[in-house]
Amino acid sequence: MIHRGKGIGCMWYPIGFTVLANPSAATVKINEDGTATLLTGTVETGQGSLTVLGQIAAEELGVATDDVHVVSADTDTTPMDTGAIASRTTYVTGNAIKLAAENAKQILFEVAAPMLDVRPDQLEAVDRKIQVKYFPQRCLPIADVALQAQFVMGRPAIGSASYNPPTVGMDPETGQGKPFSTYVYATQCAEVEVDDETGEVDVLYMSAAHDCGTAINPMLVEGQIEGGISMGIGFALQEEMLFDDNGLQRNPNLTNYIMPTSLDMPEIDVDIVENFDPTGPFGAKGVGEPTAVPTAAAICNAIFDAVGIRITSLPATAEKVLKAIKEKQFGEEQKALPAAE
Amino acid sequence: MVDDVKTKEKEVTLESLRKADDNLRLPTVPERTLFPKEIGIAAAREQTPAVGQRATRPDGRLHGLGQTKYIDDMFFPGMLHAKVKRAGIAHAKIKSIDVSEAEKMPGVMATLIGSEFPVNSFGPSLQDQPLLADDIVRHAGDGVAAVAAVTEQQALDALEKIKVEYEELPNVFDPLEAMRDDAYKIHNNESNIYASKTIKKGDVEQGFADSDFIFEKTFTTQMVEHVPLEPHASIAEWDANGRVTVHSSLGRITLGRADISRVLELPINRIRIIATIVGGNFGGKNEITTEPIVALLAKKTGRPVKCVYTREDEFISSTTRHPFVMEYKTGMSKEGKIMARKVRLVCDGGAYCSWSETTLGKACILSAGPYNISNLHVDAYAVYTTKTMTGAMRGFGAPQVCFAYESHMDDMAAALGIEPLEIRLMNAFHEGSASPTGQVLEAVVVEDSLIMASERFGWKEWQK
Amino acid sequence: MTDITLIVNGEEKTASVPPETTLLKMLREDLNYTGAKLGCDVGDCGACTVLVDGMAVNACLMLAGQAEGKKIETIEGLSTLEEYHPIQKAFEDVAALQCGFCGPGMIMSTKALIDQGEDLTKQEIKDALSGNLCRCTGYTKIIEGVIDAYEEITGKKVPEENPRAA
Repeated sequence: MIHRGKGIGCMWYPIGFTVLANPSAATVKINEDGTATLLTGTVETGQGSLTVLGQIAAEELGVATDDVHVVSADTDTTPMDTGAIASRTTYVTGNAIKLAAENAKQILFEVAAPMLDVRPDQLEAVDRKIQVKYFPQRCLPIADVALQAQFVMGRPAIGSASYNPPTVGMDPETGQGKPFSTYVYATQCAEVEVDDETGEVDVLYMSAAHDCGTAINPMLVEGQIEGGISMGIGFALQEEMLFDDNGLQRNPNLTNYIMPTSLDMPEIDVDIVENFDPTGPFGAKGVGEPTAVPTAAAICNAIFDAVGIRITSLPATAEKVLKAIKEKQFGEEQKALPAAE
Repeated sequence: MVDDVKTKEKEVTLESLRKADDNLRLPTVPERTLFPKEIGIAAAREQTPAVGQRATRPDGRLHGLGQTKYIDDMFFPGMLHAKVKRAGIAHAKIKSIDVSEAEKMPGVMATLIGSEFPVNSFGPSLQDQPLLADDIVRHAGDGVAAVAAVTEQQALDALEKIKVEYEELPNVFDPLEAMRDDAYKIHNNESNIYASKTIKKGDVEQGFADSDFIFEKTFTTQMVEHVPLEPHASIAEWDANGRVTVHSSLGRITLGRADISRVLELPINRIRIIATIVGGNFGGKNEITTEPIVALLAKKTGRPVKCVYTREDEFISSTTRHPFVMEYKTGMSKEGKIMARKVRLVCDGGAYCSWSETTLGKACILSAGPYNISNLHVDAYAVYTTKTMTGAMRGFGAPQVCFAYESHMDDMAAALGIEPLEIRLMNAFHEGSASPTGQVLEAVVVEDSLIMASERFGWKEWQK
Repeated sequence: MTDITLIVNGEEKTASVPPETTLLKMLREDLNYTGAKLGCDVGDCGACTVLVDGMAVNACLMLAGQAEGKKIETIEGLSTLEEYHPIQKAFEDVAALQCGFCGPGMIMSTKALIDQGEDLTKQEIKDALSGNLCRCTGYTKIIEGVIDAYEEITGKKVPEENPRAA
């Protein structure tokens, strides 16, 4: 018989390294036509960080995403970066980039100010223009200012900066301290079907509500959540490295290491929780790892709701689930038996 | 007549090129990439302001066209292929390594063993891992020697001719056993426990005394692999100024450069790492693996050397997610409020430290869950075992502890007769809550996420 | 060494290879079609998927000699100078690919599926892609991309499915 169940998993996760310095540095070069090149030492591993970082630079410079070309991951030509790890890229590298873009933009403001008859601190960059705050009709195209800066004033608009999240070391006895600058929070709910004759668990549907501060690119945040859920499902139900008595792996291949395929994925509804972190670039935090964290919990709680068995060791393979179901049935039958004379 | 001569000349040239090709192994045709002349810019990429746009990815376009060059797609003139011999034995002393047979094999240009590295140890926190084991092998996937040959198949064939003599040492597979004083010490330390962290807040014993109910459960999780679709890969090439360029799938190139500098005893500015294109990482490509190996082989042969992990290497030789044993004890009031929590985490730390200290630290802090708990005691230990090394994998311990504290929460909810969503809302962090380490939290939205996810799910209305 | 001639994306290509060379190795190393990827070399992951006479095939499991004389299609042949192939366009628009390593295999499997000309359901799409592993995306946006491409190419609609319905 098939039983359905629902389960909740809720979590929190930090951004950046535990206490230790994990700086990122960046350089923004504004070209003489108002487009820009961003140099970042971070590594794009597939999550879309280069697109997001480009968007952060573009926002600060007042241009469109496509106006910023991102160059990454070359120790000769890009500034140092602690790396794409600990979900830190949007927050730490993003902050470095925002600061670098501000520095480059400041040169443009200083060049534009006399052209517009105002002080530099009265200017803002919006919609590919440099305009006077609260009096936007007085403005110049960014391209004009960039050209003026480089070729007339001899001041190419290049800005560099670095960022490191502020932390406080942890006491060795009590662990008290401020190990991270910010955290993200999320909840995932799962609906599963459990077959009490085979122990097989099918995840039908999941809803996921994730905090990432400001979502710089919601489409890419969704992609991370969906990918994280697939890793969470593998962790919960399928994946396991098995060793023999001599310490050699029994399944070091994809034939016998079971991981999610397209057939294992549920319908997913993704919601991004509205939030703004004042310490992050334009309010953003991060999202890479948190997405894989609460999935197993939600699924195991849904199994508990469906068939009343508590899985205490992952993965919840069909064998384990079936064994637990049978033990529970046996236990109930024992209770129901009349007491022996 | 002239055409005949020209044809003959052409044949002779092709013939000599083919002969040279056997040694060079370059593709016989130049690459031609076709892509539409005009695709156009996606609207979202042209919008200002840029933040919040569903901007498409320029690298995504190239991925779809099949134009992205991952490291295994790169070919350099004269490039050799390297492969690494894996120990195949979980714990042993290396008595001797004999590469002489391998060196004689056709196509083999150089071999490499651990003792040839100026410094044969590395690691993000403890430098306890060798590039190639030269004294003791501590897990079956430990590399013991490497070969560079003209083709991959020749390199793999040559690995089989390398003779290694082992003296077996006792295996220690279970982290709980490895913690004991009488367990065999895998790294010749006083204990196999190589890292520990503690968090103490409030007074747990008093908290338990004040509780109406006490719940205890132990949870365990398994060892899991990142399985990036692209295996680890690197290519190294030197120039005449003694600079080495390494193309790599590394996720942390600044650290990688520092590591290569340390193990090869080279100044940092003589090393260039390029890691522009990677096919998935998830935490498994954040420390050096074959980079110094290909660098040294490239130096020895004077040719570029590429090493790509086989899928088996990915499983047996790259880092994995720590299996955890998690003991939870929680005291609850009958209304469902968490009064106290005591947690003991034992992380199976594998053969080498890798990212275990970081994992331990994070898991320790996160293990209490996003809940207001005034009385908390967490002890966490990372223990050596003679199995595949455990390192950073998406979450650094968070998925394991979340599975534990959330399963535990539902058990308690059921016992107390409180609804799972309600019990969480009752205990969740809010703005200004204190974390387990006493940090004042801001931009907190636990409750919002609980309400949002459950409403989207249709939690309250849901029927079986 | 044997001379083998393959017809790849409509063009004849010849190379001299050892007889045990797989189609995948010949495409990648001798003919420079690096789109098909080596993910496992034993037919488990699908990253090497190419079309041979219209059928999606793991190129790592086929010998180059076996593919001689057959019509081989790889990712490099989908778009032309004039036209961005609808599958590649759909994938780009929905951000279906993240690290991209599984991409060429996924897209070729998709092409084989759509080219069959049958009416498709979401479940059938999932079935057809089940041999292509992806670790980054959770398959969700890939399936969205496939549906968009199918609807664009055929003009038909994929029916809505609700797995939660009793």
